[in-house]
Amino acid sequence: MQSETPLPDTLANLLGLDPSNPLVLFVIAVVASGVIASGLLALVAVSGIWGKRKITAAFTDRIAVNRHGPAGILIIPADALRLLSKELIVPEGVDRPAWDLGPLIMVFSALAGFAVIPMGNGIQIADPETGLAYVFAMASVASLGLVMAGYSSNNKYSFLGGLRAVAQNLAYEIPLILTGMSVALFAGTLRLSEIVAAQSTALFSLGGLAIPSWYAFVNPFAFVLFMVANLAEVGRNPFDIPEAPTEIVAGWQTEYSSVYFVLAYLSEFIHIFLGGAIIATIFLGGPAGPVLPGIVWFLIKIVGIYLFTQWARSAIPRVRIDQLIEIGWKGLLVLAFANLLLTAGIVGVIA
Amino acid sequence: MSNPWIAIGALALVGVLIPLSMISVSALLRPSVPEQGKRATYESGEIPTGSSQQIRFNIQYYMVALLFVVFDIETVLIFPWTVIYRDAVGALGYEQVLFPMLLFLGVLVAGLAWAWRNGAVQWVKSPRATRQLSTNNE
Repeated sequence: MQSETPLPDTLANLLGLDPSNPLVLFVIAVVASGVIASGLLALVAVSGIWGKRKITAAFTDRIAVNRHGPAGILIIPADALRLLSKELIVPEGVDRPAWDLGPLIMVFSALAGFAVIPMGNGIQIADPETGLAYVFAMASVASLGLVMAGYSSNNKYSFLGGLRAVAQNLAYEIPLILTGMSVALFAGTLRLSEIVAAQSTALFSLGGLAIPSWYAFVNPFAFVLFMVANLAEVGRNPFDIPEAPTEIVAGWQTEYSSVYFVLAYLSEFIHIFLGGAIIATIFLGGPAGPVLPGIVWFLIKIVGIYLFTQWARSAIPRVRIDQLIEIGWKGLLVLAFANLLLTAGIVGVIA
Repeated sequence: MSNPWIAIGALALVGVLIPLSMISVSALLRPSVPEQGKRATYESGEIPTGSSQQIRFNIQYYMVALLFVVFDIETVLIFPWTVIYRDAVGALGYEQVLFPMLLFLGVLVAGLAWAWRNGAVQWVKSPRATRQLSTNNE
């Protein structure tokens, strides 16, 4: 079921090439990365351009896009073309290289995080020993892009939005990583394929149906903490104050138009899916599931988490910045410490 | 098994090439219609005043960033411990594996409690906001 060799090696062996040659490996890995990144872009196109509108419309009792194609699905190519062909307006006094690099860094960080995610059926670009640390590190590189976008836009709303985004990412990063570590305590490794493999044993049997030992079942407390911290990390309600359209226009995105707006929007959705991929991998058994192939289960899980963020976006009111700081530092951080110690105690008992 | 970082480097390259290709496609497609006033930064329709890089903002953003540095380094130090913990606690028991980490975390939690008591994680209100709040309550 779970292939141990990463995708580039498998491809090289299929083509009869030697994967131990770094150059061959690099070229094949570029091809494999291109395939995975294209898949992600397609997923973002469906969920970001079409799905998001349909979901929000369903929550607010509207119809949303329905003119082009069945259920309005052809709005996706139309909107992609429309957004890319908009005029780029460079505002006065922007700090030029930083203003251009901000959205680029955000997209880069979200895409690079996917390198170590095991997606089932042997689809995994690389499987380093420090996979869990790497994916958290890459996901938080986006903060750098947020600061650059915020300060370089020469706009007060952008500046406040950038500050808020960073304060939020800082406050929720620590609970996120500490909760992720409680999984590493159970699994005893940071290699993501081994964390997935550790979740494949049966936890207990319920009426002849074996419940796998997914860490969401083993430690539901950690799972809930991680889901909340992840909502803050991707900036969705109740933690969408970096954008807060009723307070600071669009936050750090205010001055971005044309392709830069597309990149900012794209990075948000890839980050939602990266968060979903991390949750699926360390809490929901990765690509594990009955009957269907692994990649399908993996997609079901990350789309499920995407639907959860969209539900939260439509249904939950936004917290204020002072509440956000207090929830993060006084609530989630303390709970994350408690969870880590609790897990350490439990692991000590069963070890 | 090959070196995983080569493949990660390849994905990183793709992660830069995709945004760059989107920027170049857009550069070929989009029009350019320079008009007066179009490039003014958005300030709710008013003429923008002053610079955005010199505005005053709440000191709180600085305080939480400072606190973050401490806790971020702490997470880096916990990572290796989580990896060896399961095997080590089975072989050596709690007192040699868990208790030193409890002491380490205890120092950090004491630091957090100190910061909490001194209001570092409490949102700072400006004197004007506090004054308005107290007049509202009267």
